[in-house]
Amino acid sequence: MSLSVAGMSWVTPLGSDVDDVWQRLLAGETAPVEILENEQNGARYLVRRVPADTPFPSHPRLRRASAISRFAAAAGLAALARVKPAPSLDRIALVFAVSNGGVIYTRRFYSEIVTSGAQAASPLLFPETVFNAPASHLAAILGIYGASYTVVGDGAVGILALKLAEDLLASDDLDFCLVVGAEEIDPLVCEAYRQWRFLRKPSTPTGRGMIMSEGAGAVLLERSDDGGVPSVDAAVSAARIEQIVPGRNFFRRSEAAAELGSVIARLENGIGFAVGSANGTFIDQVERTAVGNELPLYSPKIALGESVGASIFWQLTAAAQALKTGRLPGALSSPANPRALVLACGLNQQTGGLTLRLSR
Amino acid sequence: MNSAKQDPRRVAVVAAGIVSPLGFGLTETLQSLRQARDCVTPVTAFPVDKTRCKTAAQIDDERLLNKAQRSRRDRRLHRASHMVIAALAELLEAAPEFPPEIAIVGTTSGGMSFGENFYRSLGNGNGCSAALIANYPPQKQIVDAMEKFGINVPAEVIANACASGTNAIGHAFNAIRAGRYQRILAGGYDALSELVFVGFDSLQAATPEKCRPFDCNRSGMVLGEGAALFALEELESARSRGAEILGEIIGYGISTDNHHLTQPNPDGSGPRRAMEQALAQAKLGPDQVGYINAHGTATILNDSAEGKAIIELFGNVPVSSTKSMMGHSLGAAGAIEAAVTLLALQHQFLPPNINFRESDLSLNVVANEAREAQFDCAVSNSFGFGGTNATIVFRKFAR
Repeated sequence: MSLSVAGMSWVTPLGSDVDDVWQRLLAGETAPVEILENEQNGARYLVRRVPADTPFPSHPRLRRASAISRFAAAAGLAALARVKPAPSLDRIALVFAVSNGGVIYTRRFYSEIVTSGAQAASPLLFPETVFNAPASHLAAILGIYGASYTVVGDGAVGILALKLAEDLLASDDLDFCLVVGAEEIDPLVCEAYRQWRFLRKPSTPTGRGMIMSEGAGAVLLERSDDGGVPSVDAAVSAARIEQIVPGRNFFRRSEAAAELGSVIARLENGIGFAVGSANGTFIDQVERTAVGNELPLYSPKIALGESVGASIFWQLTAAAQALKTGRLPGALSSPANPRALVLACGLNQQTGGLTLRLSR
Repeated sequence: MNSAKQDPRRVAVVAAGIVSPLGFGLTETLQSLRQARDCVTPVTAFPVDKTRCKTAAQIDDERLLNKAQRSRRDRRLHRASHMVIAALAELLEAAPEFPPEIAIVGTTSGGMSFGENFYRSLGNGNGCSAALIANYPPQKQIVDAMEKFGINVPAEVIANACASGTNAIGHAFNAIRAGRYQRILAGGYDALSELVFVGFDSLQAATPEKCRPFDCNRSGMVLGEGAALFALEELESARSRGAEILGEIIGYGISTDNHHLTQPNPDGSGPRRAMEQALAQAKLGPDQVGYINAHGTATILNDSAEGKAIIELFGNVPVSSTKSMMGHSLGAAGAIEAAVTLLALQHQFLPPNINFRESDLSLNVVANEAREAQFDCAVSNSFGFGGTNATIVFRKFAR
């Protein structure tokens, strides 16, 4: 099934305007890096954060919500706002992708249990710890009362969420599916990745390893039976997802390149460039091996950081912008073919990919 | 995979596997249901001296972990992984020739207790094992189980709170029905954890007393745990290979109730929309449903909203919440209760709603003892935080 990308948005550490952030990426800009300290053990982490002056929607549901819900709301609303006329809410489904989820409140809630005892744990925090809390807030803000799914996984979760959206759109009951990915930064998550030996050390800011980041991305997908032209007036992308292939799992890192290679083999030929998920870890080599040396391979994570559940949506947006502008950031050559490959290799076993092209 | 539009396919359940406080496997589960066994016991996994609620329905670790082949690798896995392994082992024993194209499963917290141990290890300065981190994520448990049996397909993990299991089965049903897949491994899993236990306690949604769904003196839920998996297959494909068919899924409904993050709209409109959708897809009238396995958490708000929706839509249909026996296993609940509903259809009985004394609703509750009954179709409901509502409809398979 072919899917039109009717709307697209991102909330990143480099800003939230799709065209502006893309121009800055083309210019070689990278998001500022901050130091985040863990009060529990004194560890320090390099992180990339969404700018403090980023405007977020105002809604009663967001009053007590965690940052992840605000990022998601901003991205979801922006993706919908880019299409005119506005789609009918009874024919939209919501699919949410997340990996770490509402970890700020989760850590705070468990911290209260550990430090003060179970009787002191706040009932205000617990509901926000649930994986689908951000999706619930977004559905309430938008007024979506039909299907809503939250999909969890590693850095490849976005591909699985997009696949779920594609399967939902097989039904005549729906016209659109809003697919959103979001994450927030917390020292607990950073510490987990640090102990897993994936993080870049603050002492070597240009060394190997990834830098965690936060934000959201969203795409509004429309089932397109007419050659991929959206029924709505898509202001940004006019891109079309041709194929989505969730990959098999790699049980050992040595298997990752082969599994990613089998994803690529199932996707169509004629690819002009790839937008990958390289983040400074073993994934860099895995993707290069899977893609080969000929194809230009760009990863926005190098400039924006690793946002896990949000990352595939940043990659998708970058790929669409590269198709639209005919350019890739850095010294990479211009795409020779108007079809992009978007690849995802997670840190914990999952893989996937999709192909994207301009519909007009 | 075929994406062309076709007539809806019929979807068969060709095998199932289950582990829950009711027992290991379908046979033990059936026995416990018929005996109306109360599986709720004092919590032993973590301290409960500062919580109101002190009980849960728990799976015996000795038995769970002894069932697993305890290799060095197995010992690192989370309890939830072992539950999924046990369920998958039963499923594959019944259907060894079932190669799924994808796994669609539900969970709410994956390996949460490993996350808790990780947090505590930072505070006490003991350091932690990387295995805690690697085995904590919620997709890991199904991937572990598949790896154990040489299955390697994508794992789509749905985390729609307490409706996760039903959403996973329902979405898998729709995907086969639409011709997108022929064979899907579907279900759900969750293991008890301190964070979640304290969470429900803090909301005063958990009871210090007996769990009494739909009773006028109900005072809240008790938690449970477990896993259940189903081999779902396009009916003609299953027939052509001579597979045993346990039952059919014929309808699925999903709705989102935007009333509140943790509370249903008291008018019952969210659950009602999910049930109406499921019946419409199944092409059934409410009078054709012979049993409803309710979400029935025994909280004041859930049971009154769900009860209202059931009465308005179905009238006097027999209803029970089997959570009264086995607790609320969250992301696994919908899958475990789907297995219970399937057993009820296969063996033509109504599973009991124990600890029941008197209702403030006009529901036809299957009170305290299992009943024999004759019926062809049954409904299973699951609702969750975030306002997510899901209903699936099963039909007895007529050869």
